[in-house]
Formats: sequence, structure tokens, C-alpha cells
Amino acid sequence: MKIRGLKQGALLLLTAMVGFGAAGCGTAGPADKTASSAANGAAPKAEQPVKEVKAENIKEDKKLSGKLVVYSAGPNDLAVAIQKGYEAKTGVKIEMFQGTTGKILSRMEAEKANPVVDVVVLASLPSAQGLKRSGLTMEYKEAKNADKLIPEWSDKDGSFFGYSASALGIGFNTKLVPNPPKEWADLTKEEWKGKVNIPDPALSGSALDFVTGYLSGKGDAGWELLEQYKKNGMAMAGANQEALDPIITGAKSIVAAGVDYMTYQAKAKGEPVDMIYPASGTVISPRPAAIIKTTKNADAAKAYIDYLLSDEVQKMVADTYLLPGRKDVPAKDRPGVDQIPQMKVDWAWMDANGDAVTKKFSQLFK
Amino acid sequence: MQTTTLISVKKLGMTLALLILAVLVVIPLVLILLTSVQTETGWDWLAPLRTLMGSSLGEVFLNSIGLGLAVVAGTTVLALPLAWILSRTDLKRHTWLDVVLLIPFMTPPYIGSMGWILFMQTNGYMEQLIPASAAWTQGFFSLFGMTAIMSFHLFPFLYLILRNALVQIAGGKEEAASVHGGTFLYTFRRIVMPLLLSSYAMGALLIFVKTIAEFGTPATFGRKIGFYVLTSEIHKYISSWPIDFGQATSLASLLLGTCLLIWYVQTVISQRYTYAMIGGKGARVTVLRLTIWQRALAWLYVAALLGLSVVIPYFSIITASLLKLRGVGLAWGNFTFQYYIELLAWGSRSMEALLNSLSLSLTAATISVVLGTFFALMIHRSRTRSERLTDLFSLLPNTVPGIVIVVGLILLWNAPWMPVRLYNTYGMVVLTYVVFFLPYTVQYVKANFAQLDASLFQAGKVFGGSGFYIFRRILLPLILPGMLAGWMMTFTISVRELVASLMILPPSMETSATYIFAQFEQGKVSLGMAMAVVSVGLTTILLLGLNKLLEKRTIGGP
Repeated sequence: MKIRGLKQGALLLLTAMVGFGAAGCGTAGPADKTASSAANGAAPKAEQPVKEVKAENIKEDKKLSGKLVVYSAGPNDLAVAIQKGYEAKTGVKIEMFQGTTGKILSRMEAEKANPVVDVVVLASLPSAQGLKRSGLTMEYKEAKNADKLIPEWSDKDGSFFGYSASALGIGFNTKLVPNPPKEWADLTKEEWKGKVNIPDPALSGSALDFVTGYLSGKGDAGWELLEQYKKNGMAMAGANQEALDPIITGAKSIVAAGVDYMTYQAKAKGEPVDMIYPASGTVISPRPAAIIKTTKNADAAKAYIDYLLSDEVQKMVADTYLLPGRKDVPAKDRPGVDQIPQMKVDWAWMDANGDAVTKKFSQLFK
Repeated sequence: MQTTTLISVKKLGMTLALLILAVLVVIPLVLILLTSVQTETGWDWLAPLRTLMGSSLGEVFLNSIGLGLAVVAGTTVLALPLAWILSRTDLKRHTWLDVVLLIPFMTPPYIGSMGWILFMQTNGYMEQLIPASAAWTQGFFSLFGMTAIMSFHLFPFLYLILRNALVQIAGGKEEAASVHGGTFLYTFRRIVMPLLLSSYAMGALLIFVKTIAEFGTPATFGRKIGFYVLTSEIHKYISSWPIDFGQATSLASLLLGTCLLIWYVQTVISQRYTYAMIGGKGARVTVLRLTIWQRALAWLYVAALLGLSVVIPYFSIITASLLKLRGVGLAWGNFTFQYYIELLAWGSRSMEALLNSLSLSLTAATISVVLGTFFALMIHRSRTRSERLTDLFSLLPNTVPGIVIVVGLILLWNAPWMPVRLYNTYGMVVLTYVVFFLPYTVQYVKANFAQLDASLFQAGKVFGGSGFYIFRRILLPLILPGMLAGWMMTFTISVRELVASLMILPPSMETSATYIFAQFEQGKVSLGMAMAVVSVGLTTILLLGLNKLLEKRTIGGP
């Protein structure tokens, strides 16, 4: 009986410790809440005095505060540079999740019950159209420099802004491919059997834009080419970098529907890769940014959009070898929008059929 | 009077333990099952099976099972001869081999697989070293290659189990057979095999469960060769567009069911086929003297095994982290340390990820040691029903695949009715790690505690020690080694944890594992590999250091 008592003492102590631990966990939640609601409380207050003043000058004076949650598609370095620039300019702290378009959308879906995101930056226009259609986006018509944007890449109501774009092309290893293919159909030839990668549209927004864009022009007949691709041993290989990487190392020779800026980045570094755009045309995939309606810090979110469209970021965009979203900012060391042959695409069809196409594509290439 | 209060304390503790375990482990798993059988119109108990039949997911299930069987076969082929060599021949005195053999097991599978991919792919390191190998390297990218990679990762586990069993089968039994004229094969077939069987069955089933629960290799190598299994599909349905929680929970409950079934089978086997192997006579193992040729052969086997399971993956990992231009390949002048400098720059994304990993693991390890010790003391000798229940629940995370637990935790903590907003916070990650690795502490402390005789505590009481005093001066010092072992294990594994980190980290947060994975997916493989080297190296040094420290203590102390 006595021994028991001793162990009981020990157990009592541990029980108490655990109890405290549990209590500690319990209080953490509410404490967080008060902290964030305090931040929220501060934001509207700051908003009051500046309302309805001329938009041009006060942007910088406006007392922005709190934090902004941004879900951003790559390129990683650009996203981080934009984050740093924005934080320095506004004093608002950014919490960023970096992922592919597919991952960002899934994250939003998973968090539907308790949304935390304020701004999303995607790599696929139809996805942004989808967000708008579901009523998730907030309009911001008076965004600075919005008038200079290429109109087809943005929403006319100001629900999303195509601040940059990439074009899809045929990327190849220059050591392994002295005579690169010229057309999409060339990739069905015997000489490329088993040597071609294609990014997974379920992960890569721009690859999705290419596949849906191609199909929107060709109709169901478009699947024939993709089926032939599959027959020729084309492999579906993750998102863009994962599809391009084997081309760099020489494990594969060609990437079909690869995003161009990554290839140009690798090329600039000295890797043996290059890119062509088929003369029959390709898809340019705009990268839209949108404010999410449930944002708790709308002013900071608007300032983020303004910053994306500013000269500063547009130059960063060009430096990453992406196509700048503004007409007045030239592309750098790469073909500009006018030099890339484009095929006719139907963005509305692409938006409506994105999920179905993704599913069918995954099944085909599995 | 005292007795009643003490009993109620014990009861209170037990209730608390069961309550915590219910929230941490049981409710999340029940939620998965409920969600998978819930349809818009009501309950449908066959819904998960219907989901499977209705799509190509049946194939995914068969893939998982097939892979599991293949890996069991693969690890058996690798581990059985090794266990025999290192328990019965004079090679057994090389105890350092046991430490080296732990390396493959401690290498995170997603990193090891990536190493193999870089080594074997077209124009990979293998073909750069031996151009003629181009003829067959493509053959590696098949189910065979996947089985090989996973077997090289898991075989040390089976080896340890088999070797311990072989050591316990005292030489006397074999000598008896020999005296009665049994040949070597006869002895092996009629004496060693049956005695080994229960250990082998346990090891093999564990390997099977570990294989079908594995995520890292399917996510890297499996995807490359188009071989999809349950874990990779669950991850896909939860994290890539368009997401489908229904499919994910169906698959998760299927995986859960399979693992629990196997666990049950294993319990039955180990209860029925366990023989008392340790008698009063000292166990004496006869060491086989090898001829020079036999010895050379044995060493060749050991060397080949180490080459395949340690040297090749680490060669790839380290090389990839040092290559300046990956398109140029292995060439003098193409090596650089720039990725390490970039990686370890203060304030960089990678450094933040590394620090996040360390602080998360530190917190998780500490909490799980406290909780685990509490549960282990509650379990005591698992005699009453509530003790057994605590035992069962606290060890459940060892049997249930990590990805299934994560799905359950998301369902619970992200539910609209959940008042505590833990999802998307730092706390959620810590919670998941704690649930994942709780069994380690529970097992270590339980084993430690079971060896303590009641007389120790009686002595303390006789000399008038209070309950707290006895806890502090007798119980705690004696179970401390178990607690420390649990802490170290939890810490090391948390630092490398991938699947939970991928699925539940709050938006702005990265750990070293997700950083590496992100680099493989969308960034620079070289940076990812540099991070792999740093994080594996760091935890290994930490473990070795702690081990040394403990050794000194035990030698110096009583």
C-alpha cells in the first residue's frame, strides 16, 4: 500500500505538469486571437483620416500597419524580393506561403472555413477568373498604373491584375539537341521517343494554361496530339522546375510546354539550355494577383497591388526574365510579347473546363 | 483515508491520460472513418469501397500492397545473411558495423531517393563514371528500382531484429543437433528457422507497414516512374488542385484499416510463437571460425551492402550539393561551395527554415517526453483495462501511417465548429510532431520503469521520504535514461519530418525538410542537397555528442 502511495506522488506531480501543459496550450489560442483582433482594430482606425483624399500622394503617407498574408506562386526569388521591397516601403509585415498555383488553390480550399489569406499571386489566368466567379476576390479599380497594363491579362473590373506573364515553349538541352524541333507536332516523332518531359497541369498553372488554351482552340481534336505525345513516351514530371531539371542534367532532352523564364534563367547561369516558340503559336500565361474579399487588412492589400504594378517591381519582373505586365516596361534579354507567336485561345472556355481537362490529362499521362 | 485520496489521484491521472489521448489520437482517426462514410444524403458504410471501385484507385491499393511485399522480400534477402554473418562468425567483434548500418535507416527517404535518381538517371553520375552502364541504367527506373531503394533504407531494421534473435538462440541448441548428427542445413532448417520465425514475422510485418506508410520515396521516385501508392495519392488529393477530401479520407481509412489488421496479425503471431530462449544456463554463442576465403566472401558481402546503401546515396547527395553547373556534370573545376555559403547566410530563407526545424523539434521533443513519461507511468504494467487502453492508444501512432494521422488532425483542428484555432499556427505543427513521436518515449520509459523493483520505493518510504522526494530521488534518476533516449529520438526524427510539415505548416513557415522538398520541386536541387547534408550532419553530430556525454555519466556515476 505504501509503495503505491509513493508512486502516486510521482504520478500526481506528472499529472499536474501535464495539466499545466494542457492549460498552457488552451490559453495560447485566445491570446493569439486578442493580439490579432487588436491589430485589426488598429487598421480601421488608421484608415479613417485618409479616406477620400486624392489617391496619388497619400499612398506613401497612409499609415499602414499589421500584417499581410500573401500566397504567391514562384519564382521564389522574385516573390521574396517583392516581399522585402514592400515591407521596407510600407512597414507592413508579410507572411508568405510560396507554392505552385495548384498548391495555393488547395490551401485556400482547405482553409475555406477560416480563411487567412489576403492576397494571392497565381501563375494561371483562368484560376483567377475562377476565384472571381466564386466571389472570392475584391475589386480594386483605382489601382495605380492599372491603365498601363496589357488589357487582356487583367480583369476589367479590377478583380485581378496580370502583373507579369510567361510564355510556354519548347525547351531543350543544347548539347543533346543540335537541331531542335520547330513545331508542337514534331515532338511526336520517333527521334524524341522517351526524351521529352511535360509539366503536370495539376501543379503548374502555366502548363494548365497551355493545355486548356491549346484545347480551347482545337476542340476535342486537340486531345489527339496529347495522346500521340503519350504514345511517344512523353513523361509528366511535376511542376515546371521539376520538368526542366532533367533537361539541364541531360536525363531528358526536351521539355514541352515549359515556362520560358526558367529556361532563360538557367541559360543566363551558363547551363546548356535554350527555348523556341513554335511558329503555329503558343500560349502566353499571365500571372494574376488578386485581393481576397475576406482580407482583414484591405489597405495593405491594395498597397501590395500598387507595389506590384510600380516601376520598381516591373523592373524586377523583367530582371527575372518574365514578361512585364505593363506595356511601357520592356522585356529584358528575351523575346517580348510582340515577338512571340500566339495561338487563339478562349479564356472563358479555359476557366470553365480547367478541372475536367486536368483530370483527363492526369489520367492520360499517368 | 490516505488510500482513498491516492486511489482518486490515480483515477484522476488515468482519466486525464485517456482524455488527452482521445483528443490527440483517437478522435482524429475516428473523424477520418466518419468523414469517409458520410455522404450528402446520410451514412453509407460502404462508401470508401465504392470510391475505390468507382475509379482507378483499386490499382493504387494493389500497388501499395505489392510494393510492401516486394520490399519485405528485398529486405529479407539483404538482412538475413548479414544477421547471420554478424552474429555467428568472427566478424561479429566489429561492433562499429552496427553503428554504420544505422546510417541508411537514419537517412530521410526523400533525400536518399533523390540521391539514387541523380545517380542512375540518363547522363547521371553512374553514366558519367562508367559510360557503358547507359545500357542498363534505364532498367532501374521501375518497380525494381523502387523496391531496391526502399529495401536499402529499411533493411537495418530487420537486420537488428534478426541478429538479436540469433544471438538469443544459444549455441547449445545447435550443438545438440550437431551431436545427434545434424548437418548445417538440417540444423538451420529444424532448429534455427523455427526459433527465428516469430522474430522474423514481427520484423517482416513491421517492414510491410513501414513500406505502405512511407511517403518520401513514392513522392520522389514513385512519381518519376508513374508508380502511385496510397500515401502519394492521399497527399495529392489534399494538396494539389482540384482537391478532394472525400477521396483522401477514403484512401486514408483504407490505409488505416490495412495497418491495423497487420498489427493485429503480428500480435497474434508474437503471442503464439514465442519460445523461452533465455534459460538459467548462460547463453553461449559459438563463433564460427572462417577460412580465409569465407572471410573474404563475408567481407565482400558487407562491403557491397554498405556501398549500395550508404556510399552511393551519399556520394550523389554530396556531389549534387557541390556542382556549379549541373549541365556540365562531374568535372574538375565544376565544384563550388557557393550553395553552402548561400544556404547558411544569416537571415536567408534557408537559415530560417533550419532554425524553425530546430526550434520546432526542441519544443516537440520536450513536450512529448513529458507526456510520454506520464503515459508510461500510467500504463505501469498494463494490468487493468484502462492501463491497457492507455498503452494501446499511446502506441497507436507507431502503427498508423503519418499521413493518416495528419489527415485526421486537419479534420479535427480545422473543423468549423472547433473553438481553439490551432490550425495554421506553430502550435499545430508541434502538436502533430508530439502525436507522431509519442510512442518512442512511452516505449523507452515503459521498458525502463518495468525493470524497477518495488523494493526500491519501499526503501525510500521506510526512510521516511515523501512522495515527491521519492519521485525526485529514486524514480526520476532511474527512468531518466529512457526519457533521454525518447527525447533524442524525437528530436532527430522531428528535424527530418516531411509529410506533416508539408501539409500543415502555417503559410509563412518552412522547415529544413519542406525546404529541401521545395528545392527538388521548384527550385535548385543543389541548394536542397546542401540543406540535406547540413541537417543530417547537424543531427548526427548532436546525437553523437549526447551519446558521449551519457557514456561518461554512466561510467562516472553509480
